[in-house]
Amino acid sequence: MPEPALRLTGLEKHYGATTAVAGIDLTVGHGEFVTLLGPSGCGKTTTLALIAGFVPPSAGEIYLKGRSVADLPAFRRDIGVVFQDYALFPHMTAGENVAFGLRMRKVAPVDIARRVGEALDLVQLKGLGERRPLQLSGGQRQRVALARALVINPTVLLLDEPLSNLDLKLREEMRVEIVSIQRRLGITTVFVTHDQGEALVMSDRVAVMNAGRIEQIGRPADIYERPATRFVAEFIGRMNLFAGTVTDARSVRTASGVEISLPVPREIPVGANVSIAVRPERARVTSERTARGLALAGTVRQVFYLGATREYRVDLEGGERGLVETPNDGSDARFASGDTVWLTASFDDCRLIEGGIPRGRP
Amino acid sequence: MSVRRAFNRWRATAAPWAVLRAFVVFVYVFSLGPILITAAVSFNATNRSFFPPRGFSLRWWERAFAPEWVDPLLFSLKLGSLTAVVATALALPLAFALYRYRFRGRQALIALTLGPLMMPTLVTGVGLLQLFQQLGWREQLGFTGLLVGHVVICMPFAVRTVSVSLQTLPPNVELAAASLGATRIATLRWVVLPLVKTGVVAGGVFAFIHSFTDVNLSIFLARPGETPITVRILGFLEFGFAPTLAAVSVITLIVPLALVAVVERVSGLGDFIYGERRRA
Repeated sequence: MPEPALRLTGLEKHYGATTAVAGIDLTVGHGEFVTLLGPSGCGKTTTLALIAGFVPPSAGEIYLKGRSVADLPAFRRDIGVVFQDYALFPHMTAGENVAFGLRMRKVAPVDIARRVGEALDLVQLKGLGERRPLQLSGGQRQRVALARALVINPTVLLLDEPLSNLDLKLREEMRVEIVSIQRRLGITTVFVTHDQGEALVMSDRVAVMNAGRIEQIGRPADIYERPATRFVAEFIGRMNLFAGTVTDARSVRTASGVEISLPVPREIPVGANVSIAVRPERARVTSERTARGLALAGTVRQVFYLGATREYRVDLEGGERGLVETPNDGSDARFASGDTVWLTASFDDCRLIEGGIPRGRP
Repeated sequence: MSVRRAFNRWRATAAPWAVLRAFVVFVYVFSLGPILITAAVSFNATNRSFFPPRGFSLRWWERAFAPEWVDPLLFSLKLGSLTAVVATALALPLAFALYRYRFRGRQALIALTLGPLMMPTLVTGVGLLQLFQQLGWREQLGFTGLLVGHVVICMPFAVRTVSVSLQTLPPNVELAAASLGATRIATLRWVVLPLVKTGVVAGGVFAFIHSFTDVNLSIFLARPGETPITVRILGFLEFGFAPTLAAVSVITLIVPLALVAVVERVSGLGDFIYGERRRA
């Protein structure tokens, strides 16, 4: 089996008493697009800086194509980086920016000119090589930064929130474009973002990070459909979390004391506090209790019309709150504020996550 | 319109401009006036410094170009240039260390570097003279002593301007260069230096001007035959303000002005001199 393009083992970074990265293991295959997703301060950017060699790790190893690089300075790692602020050299033209890495590698001038041209073509900046960064729009600067990182044929391409400075429309355009370039070149890519939409759309796999660790790693659908932890469940998309206690291998008692039969995963012991996780778009508001699956009694508090969807906010017996999102099928809202209803969901749409719900949650 | 309203309108619109104009005129009269008077005096046909000048003659200018004046002028130019080079060469790494890194004793080093800025140069001069004598370096007085003294008092300017341009360096460009395969030296050469160039040049120019115009420090460290023009002028003043001195003063004034004009043209130094960044 060939060595993976990038492998991190037990990677840690501490700054004095603060821990930025608390032990990360990650393997990225050749040509794979992996996203580090997490809130600010979760250690994703530090992880990127460690891979790039901008900061030395406190512990752990970094392998590029099987070779340990933890002791190698940044300039000898062959890693392309696109920064959040692009970090273009303001005193050089777009073409000179792109040529920089090749010049540092002592590539022959003829080849430099050809490869810079190709790189600028690739990012659709043909003919703009003479412009200086200040004469380019935000989106164009972004493309120059991408071309500059790609032209050196790096082992791994690192993208640090490269879309966060662009406006919404351009951002969505660049998502698609970055992925299409990445696929075309087959370049191994690690992308850092706090935007879950970006992560889900662009990635082969998503690593959700929290407090310096990877909470869960998997394909976008895995992460969304089968969150492994409370953090992942709440960070990706919206999620109803209802408190419960495991009573036996096939049933859970909810906060309001109702026993419901749900298959309990083997690793969760009887008596454990759990959260029953249901996506708002998988839950329903009904007037009758369903025979099977989750059913929680409550009262509709508010109904919001959102165009494509309707949102029901339900006050449940026992004090919890539920959120249900229904597609707009053209009919009127079936329930109004004050109606007594059931919040229901099928077995398949419920997931049990170990750990109770902290007090003081809305 | 009532008189009162007319007055109020005048006070609101025209008056501030009138005050500003008066102020500007005031500033110019007192900054340019002495120069113009000095220049005029140098063309006197008489032995005394009359203003307005009596008659017209170029003989004082002829005297001003005699070796007794040209030598100290060249000495000052040489001293100023070398001071500028040494001060900026030292200021560059110093500014880097002070404003890029956090280390023990950083505050102390900043105080030590910028200290001479706050100290009367006269005191620095006396101190340096004492030091040289204590160390038995009397032989080093003159050019070497002056160079040391001038570097001490000029370096703060260079450190300031260089650090200002270091602070305007875009945050990640050095990391970007490293990721593209540039060693630290290559990063310095191709990325950092070109971006802080204006600050370095400005520091050099300020250092030169400060050195060229200094008299307080120089009077202690100069010695016969190795005397800057300012000290020479001061010495000559004991014999009264002759028209020759007026001519010499004008020359002494023009030299740094011309230098600044040239450098400004070449490097766009205006940003630093006028305190604004005109380039976007």
